Amino acid sequence: MKKIVLPGELISNGIKKLDHTYISNSNTYAAVVGMYNEERGTLIPLEGVWLPNIGEGVVGAVTSERNNVYRVMLTDFVEGLIILDRYSREYFKVGDVIRATISEVERKNRVILERYSLLRGGILLNIKPVKIPRVIGRGDTMIKQLTDLTGSQIVVGRNGLIWINKGNVDLAISALIKIENEAHTSGLTERIKQMLETNR
Amino acid sequence: MSHENKPELVINGKRADGRDFEELRPLKIEAGILKNAGGSAYLEWGNNKVLAAVYGPKEVVPKHLTDSSKAIIKCRYSMAPFSSLSEHGRSGPNRRATEISKVIREVFENVIMLNEYPGSEIDIFIEILQGDGGTRTAGITAAAVALASAGIAIRDLVYAVSAAKIGENLVIDPNMLEDNYSDADMPVAVSPKNNEILLLQMDGGYTKEELKSSFEMIFKAGKKITDIQKESIRKLYESVSK
Repeated sequence: MKKIVLPGELISNGIKKLDHTYISNSNTYAAVVGMYNEERGTLIPLEGVWLPNIGEGVVGAVTSERNNVYRVMLTDFVEGLIILDRYSREYFKVGDVIRATISEVERKNRVILERYSLLRGGILLNIKPVKIPRVIGRGDTMIKQLTDLTGSQIVVGRNGLIWINKGNVDLAISALIKIENEAHTSGLTERIKQMLETNR
Repeated sequence: MSHENKPELVINGKRADGRDFEELRPLKIEAGILKNAGGSAYLEWGNNKVLAAVYGPKEVVPKHLTDSSKAIIKCRYSMAPFSSLSEHGRSGPNRRATEISKVIREVFENVIMLNEYPGSEIDIFIEILQGDGGTRTAGITAAAVALASAGIAIRDLVYAVSAAKIGENLVIDPNMLEDNYSDADMPVAVSPKNNEILLLQMDGGYTKEELKSSFEMIFKAGKKITDIQKESIRKLYESVSK
């Protein structure tokens, strides 16, 4: 059974180790608005802020360049740094959109990026970072379906920025916004498939 | 408190606005109405109209206030210049707004899981568009919904409500008239999970028994307020799933 839980709502009469919960008087309570799945024992937040973790892929825009260090805006709170080494052959300009992987979290709001590359052309879409896992889907099903049926190149950043290039960009955007709004409903992958096929 | 030309607040066992002693004013909350805010809520409680918005976690400004072990909370309660009849309703911070901002901040410092967001700042804005007594409690009730809809980790959905004493009668949720001329009034913020008191201010005096029964009234009314708060958040997701 899936149900919406609100902060302070009892999750279980006992200590349960689960993200987005807290333990008080050996009971587990929800700390966010989320979708709780009792069988799977998962609590998926419906709203939230993104805090960076090592290994996550992000998309961002270069905001400044100094002494071989690029600053990249990931969200309005989190900033990424690209430190070029001597052998690097990638050079960016301010305003360039890049994709990268987080290699190190210095502070919650400053991370070091690695394996960066430039994204040429295309447009950026900003959606709520908590909805990103749904955009990718279990076993990449959702994102595969999106790229296949729109013919677009899509790069999804865990920070909430999505880069879309070529293909049916408008359709991809409306599908992504639909996913953002309906991320908590069941049978979404099927509905998106229908939507993409009828509007192709 | 005695006033020379005190209006009659209790008429035939009913209050001046026709309510029973334990009756709340009609309460309506709508969550998530500001697109640019992390979370927001609009609340109408009788004639009170309140807008609450939450931003963050974000970088701390000024930088030296940064606490690398936890988040800091900034809270701004303010009354719009058009919110009230002359007395309040001055724009900009004043003694009263500064005090209320402080007490509201302390309510939320005890509720938000600050350790989850080290080195950051969370901003809570409470704007009173129209005030009619009990604006700080209305502000807290709205801000709790805004925080939940921002997805910030909180221990509980707090509510706040005032109680007052008019002569021998204990009443709940006084309006401006009752607030001004009552013998005592007491805004209280409560964490409904375990009825923990997060804010208690008092103007005037209660006896021990009166205080006890006032709290019973508050906890009883709190159940209704909590239900309306929860309903407003659930509505955000139920309207989509249909």
